[in-house]
Amino acid sequence: MSAIVSSPGLDPVIHAQARLRVTVVLAALATEDRITFPRLQQLLDMTAGNLSTHLRKLEDAGYVQITKAHQRRTPVTHVALTERGRRAFADYTAALRALLTPPTDQPRG
Amino acid sequence: MAGEDTGARLDEDSPLSAGESLALIERQQREVHRRLGVNAALFYGPWGAAYLLGFGSVFLTYPSAVPLRLPGGLAAVITGVLFAAAIVVSVVHGARAGRGVRGPSRMVGAMYGWSWTLGFGAMYAVNIGVTRLGLPADAVTLLYSGSALVLVGVLYLAGGALWQDRFQYGLGVWMLVTGAGSVLAGVPGNFAVLSLAGGGGLLLTAGYFTLRPPRQRARP
Repeated sequence: MSAIVSSPGLDPVIHAQARLRVTVVLAALATEDRITFPRLQQLLDMTAGNLSTHLRKLEDAGYVQITKAHQRRTPVTHVALTERGRRAFADYTAALRALLTPPTDQPRG
Repeated sequence: MAGEDTGARLDEDSPLSAGESLALIERQQREVHRRLGVNAALFYGPWGAAYLLGFGSVFLTYPSAVPLRLPGGLAAVITGVLFAAAIVVSVVHGARAGRGVRGPSRMVGAMYGWSWTLGFGAMYAVNIGVTRLGLPADAVTLLYSGSALVLVGVLYLAGGALWQDRFQYGLGVWMLVTGAGSVLAGVPGNFAVLSLAGGGGLLLTAGYFTLRPPRQRARP
């Protein structure tokens, strides 16, 4: 359990290389935009199975919304970061920065 | 791209330190902006070159203070090839940027792209109609350079407003000034204005967007 001890306050859903990279790509999309699964896979250079596994974990946490639609009878899967996921990523980056900033005791005001 | 290869392998087994995490985020953000975002230099660069060299070559077909005369045919070929290339690069890059992405931002991009096509289609229709009434050759030249530049300027103003980009808005203002200035300069001075002020402004913009660090695309 050293991983948890060494990363206090860091969201374990995002704090894993593959899922962090997925989250960064999805967070780069404009709000309410979504991306097709194959394009996401291509951008991340991951196998379909690997990406699916990580997307499921992000979906279970409510960070990612996966929608399946049909375009001319071809099934298309779209992936988007939810509002909750966007906030979780913002909190995660803020937590990282806080960890890296030496604490200062200067009183304000 | 060492980080790319290790991405899948290390995964859950190797916890990241806070510093490694931030570095990974920044690396991935740069990568995604490069591959998913619009490369502004690719939009402005070819147009800047077309204005500078195309209109510049047309200017040099007239007797001027510059000790160089180009044959009209050569200037027409240079101008035609450069503008056709700029159109192709813009359309292809516009269609490729953000492919696989659906949603409001794609809709905005598509509507903006069509604004250029529709605007120029209508402008040519108006100009051809007016020219048919019989205008002096210089008036036709100024009609085209003035109306095209005003349309370009207004579309850059709209783009600046849409993507909340002051620099692009500023380019729109600059192109409006260039268009009006070109008509006031008369023939053949208008070609020098279009070449230097128009092409210069576009190339400066391409340079600016190449050097400016990418912004977050996600905006509330």
